[in-house]
Amino acid sequence: MADRQEKLSVAFAWLSALLVPALLAMVTGFLLRRGLPSLQVALWFGDTPPLAALLHGAPVFDGIWPACLGTLYLVALVALMAVPLGVASGIFLAEYAGGRTKLAFSFCIELLAGIPSILMGLFGFALILFLRRSFAPEANTCLLLSAFCLTLLVLPYLISSTRLAIESLPDALRLTGASLGLSHWQLIRRILLPASAPGIFSGVILAIGRAAEDTAVILMTGVVANAGTPGSLTAKYEALPFHIYYLAAEYQSPAELAQAFATALVLLALTGLLLLAARRLQAGLEIK
Amino acid sequence: MKAAIRVEKLSVSFAGKHVIRHLSLEIASGGPTFLVGRSGSGKTTLLRALNRLNECLPGCATSGQVELRLGEQWVDAYAATTNVENLRRRVGMVFQSPNVLPLSILRNIEMPLKVALSLPADEAEARAEQALREVHLWDEVKDRLSQAASTLSGGQQQRLCLARTLALRPQILLLDEPTASLDFKAAQRIEDLLLELKSRYTLLVVSHSLGQARRIAESLFVLHDGERIEALSKDVFQDRDALFSVMDELI
Repeated sequence: MADRQEKLSVAFAWLSALLVPALLAMVTGFLLRRGLPSLQVALWFGDTPPLAALLHGAPVFDGIWPACLGTLYLVALVALMAVPLGVASGIFLAEYAGGRTKLAFSFCIELLAGIPSILMGLFGFALILFLRRSFAPEANTCLLLSAFCLTLLVLPYLISSTRLAIESLPDALRLTGASLGLSHWQLIRRILLPASAPGIFSGVILAIGRAAEDTAVILMTGVVANAGTPGSLTAKYEALPFHIYYLAAEYQSPAELAQAFATALVLLALTGLLLLAARRLQAGLEIK
Repeated sequence: MKAAIRVEKLSVSFAGKHVIRHLSLEIASGGPTFLVGRSGSGKTTLLRALNRLNECLPGCATSGQVELRLGEQWVDAYAATTNVENLRRRVGMVFQSPNVLPLSILRNIEMPLKVALSLPADEAEARAEQALREVHLWDEVKDRLSQAASTLSGGQQQRLCLARTLALRPQILLLDEPTASLDFKAAQRIEDLLLELKSRYTLLVVSHSLGQARRIAESLFVLHDGERIEALSKDVFQDRDALFSVMDELI
């Protein structure tokens, strides 16, 4: 009986493990089949000559190049704001906060993690309304606002992964560092952070992925269908996930729908590239 | 013999549970002084109370007095004015299992020197070489200093840890079962090293091995349940049969 149960459990575990790659292959295959034929230079740059767009900043009207740039800028901005904040908060929770403070902070972060992204978008929108009515009548939804709201959205991933990575380090490492006369901060900076880098980076990767693919937040905070390449932090912009949503919801011809699939492929590739870059960075940062 | 460590009514508890209670003892300079006792009798906690390392573990509370002679001065380890990082540099510690940092062989020694003592690179390197020679590891590793310390054998790792501690130029060395995780040969090398080091440092060794204590200890304490500590005279602990019969009574 026990033997049979074990066999069943093993079979179920295998099946579950195989299901994930199978589903991934199905989704990617579907995307490739529908999107690959449209994946041409015209998809990127429309009627504009690519070199003119790349080198001289010639405006692109029917291509996804501005959306690619918009998403890249957005992700970079979010990383710039969220990574230092998230890692620092994680360090605080793991190393400095104690007792009730730790409980209270952890509770807040769990709450933040539970907020749906559309609500975060609404918050950004309400923030702009507030600013316009109070001390910044010129304020409008823009790239910076989107990045700010996305930062709020991804912060919990970063905080939790940093905290977990540091807290799960063996006590021996701490004792060793302290026994060598390192101060608490030196211990964190020189021993604990490098040793927990892989865990922290998995949080960074999650956060980057989330920032690149989120549509709900940017929908409310500054993304538009036609803005060209983003000119400044306070300008409107285009982004890949919104472009896909827009095309899929309002396509006029089968060709436009195919474009949406191709754009989805590009987004997938872009996220993959970002993750690869993060992994390379992680390998470079490991202690030598 | 001059005293190097004075412990007065020391109590240490973790999350309210006493590990050491009202313990007083005096340890002579030089040594090696051995501290033996059953598992869980509080040997390691006593050792860590001397360089205040217990404080790095959650829920620790310490009371009583620990005085250490560093240079010509007596330092109250738990006084508010005592700089704990400085204290730990001068009261070095080697742990039971070799705890090399995930760094290269050379960086294992250099990093604390550069970070904790703010030594310039060339001085840190010179000190690292000196420390590695002191533990007779230099010839074995001089061509592979940039390799990960984890590639060394267990015995070599333990000698590297000893070198790392010596490079900080401590005056007192606390050794927590330094040979427990090593094979016979590697353990013997560490024992030989301890005999070499005893003229320059005050050595306090926690050990499970009565044989080892008999071979190299100058004085020996037996700790019982974190409360009673008994000093054995040299003629008792060097006589194998006398030692075993006393230990049977005490433990």
